[in-house]
Amino acid sequence: MAYLSSSDKCLVAQHHAMLAWENARRYELDLESLARASKLKLEDFALNERRISPEQYLTLLQQMAKKLDATDTSFNLGQHMLPGHFGPASQALLYAKDLRQALQILLQFQTELCPLLTPRIKEENGQLILYWMDQWGAPSMLAFLVEMHMTAVTAMCRWLSERRLPWRYCFNRSRARHIEQHHVHLGLDLRFDCYLDAMIIPSEFLDVPWPRANASSAAMAIEQALAQTSKHLRAQSIVPQLYDYLSVNIRCAPSLEKAAQHFECSVATFKRHLARHGTHFQAELDQVRTHMALYLFHFQEMDNEAVASYLGFHDATNFRRSFKRWTGQTPSSLRLAME
Amino acid sequence: MLSLHKTPLAVLLLMVVFTFFAYSSIGVAKPLTSVQWLDVVAEGGTSSMACLWLLMTLSSRPRGKVTYLLAAGMGLIMLGAWADCLDEFYKIGKEQMWDHWMEAVFTLGGMMILTVGLYFWRQEQFSLNIHLQKRERLFRDHRAFDRVTQLGDASYLRRLIAMEQGNHTDAPHCIALLDINAFHILNREFGVEEGDRILQAVAHMLLLNLSNQDVLCRYAGERFAIYMPSISLDQAQQKVNHLSAMVEQMHFYTQTRQIAITLCAECAVVSGAAEVTIEALLASLDSRADQAGDGAAAVSPLAPMVSPAHA
Repeated sequence: MAYLSSSDKCLVAQHHAMLAWENARRYELDLESLARASKLKLEDFALNERRISPEQYLTLLQQMAKKLDATDTSFNLGQHMLPGHFGPASQALLYAKDLRQALQILLQFQTELCPLLTPRIKEENGQLILYWMDQWGAPSMLAFLVEMHMTAVTAMCRWLSERRLPWRYCFNRSRARHIEQHHVHLGLDLRFDCYLDAMIIPSEFLDVPWPRANASSAAMAIEQALAQTSKHLRAQSIVPQLYDYLSVNIRCAPSLEKAAQHFECSVATFKRHLARHGTHFQAELDQVRTHMALYLFHFQEMDNEAVASYLGFHDATNFRRSFKRWTGQTPSSLRLAME
Repeated sequence: MLSLHKTPLAVLLLMVVFTFFAYSSIGVAKPLTSVQWLDVVAEGGTSSMACLWLLMTLSSRPRGKVTYLLAAGMGLIMLGAWADCLDEFYKIGKEQMWDHWMEAVFTLGGMMILTVGLYFWRQEQFSLNIHLQKRERLFRDHRAFDRVTQLGDASYLRRLIAMEQGNHTDAPHCIALLDINAFHILNREFGVEEGDRILQAVAHMLLLNLSNQDVLCRYAGERFAIYMPSISLDQAQQKVNHLSAMVEQMHFYTQTRQIAITLCAECAVVSGAAEVTIEALLASLDSRADQAGDGAAAVSPLAPMVSPAHA
């Protein structure tokens, strides 16, 4: 099992961090103090293939947000994030034939295209849901990053499809005070207090051909990108991998011991890895169960009883109580928020 | 900005040292037991507070008459309190009157100069207010100003509307939202710096064509909001049409070519919750952009290649 920690130098400085750096320059921030705070050197941006850690990039964003003290920083950064200039993966996005292929490319090359958050996709019942999860353990920056990534996908689709797509946005937060930025940069269909940071779109928009599409260029770019990624380790922390493992094994009574065994390390080491990303096993397990429950409610249209038995609870009352502990809300109230 | 004011700061430091030596060489040190510590704290505190005001003033202002008057006033007040404080430690003969003169002249003189400085500062503020006209109304909040256009933001607009609604005037108040067509395409094509310049140019053009009681805000992104008090919807619509026409008339040049900038505008009478009115305006702007073929038609408003020399 290969996984990285947030202090490993696995991101190309000239890619995403450069974009933030250019923005800092555009707003005339003190670049030297920014570099000092995030332990970056000026030559990191000048030299090809110089790598920095997710921690450094996150600190750079955090410092920028603090210094600019404006409500639109995340949205401005997101506007130009995708397709971006991140090598062949960006080229592939640019020539994607439709939304479906674009999202596949985004998922396949997430290390290059969106290294800070993990995008995940579920499609069922005539809807596609794209949701974003923390990758490196930056809870204080999560709202900022979600705004940035949602804006990035929205703006990219608007540009490449030459129309505004009817996304619906769900946020795992209370209603934002700077709602105007959401309205203008994202759209008017916003839901808050949803326990999930997700973008939902009707499936019929997935296969509408995009005017800039170029199948052969896209195929070539994907091939190049694949060749490149095989050389480097996939920059992924343990958190999304644990999520994947738990999603698959959710009905097999997952435990800390079994998970540690799966990740080929001792329970103590496993706990330490998770702690470094600001989380612990139970929190991750509860999250996966909540997501599964929401998925079953939303897509399978199951009722409380069915979801309870699917997730291995004795009865619906027990499930309701646990669900309330995970999310702070009852299943029915959270369902209303998502509808 | 403190580095702009090296000379006044050096003079001040020199005066502090000079006062100290005047007292310590001419006066006789009092035994520590007879020092009134309460007086020392009060006068020393006054002196250091005055010093802090001075530094805050100098660090936030460029050079000029008003700055120097304010600085001189605060500096003298500080020296007066400093002399007063030294007085507690050194005994000066009763027959020598210079120390009393020093305290009195410094303190009173400082206050007089500060008053003159404040008078001119007030005039300065009046002339600066003219610059801010059409950007603010009823209240000021420096944190609400946007970096790119120097306009108030959406939170400023919301508070302004709430305040106006609290005033219970019967005349209708209108709000307009203006959107720059295909701004995201221009931004992708010419870069974010040009995008910022477009925003600034449009903001200037709109400001020039507004009446004094109107307020222009940058709502978010490429959308501007105009608050128009005591105006009917018809008049507001006319005004907005004129503004759109003026922006269309504007010649905007990027590094390489001239581009046409067009606006899409919607206005409404503010009734009830401002949020609802604004959201309805946003929705109709969105649907109008969609009908116009958001991105597809976006290439057409770009004017044919015209070099600045021929235009």
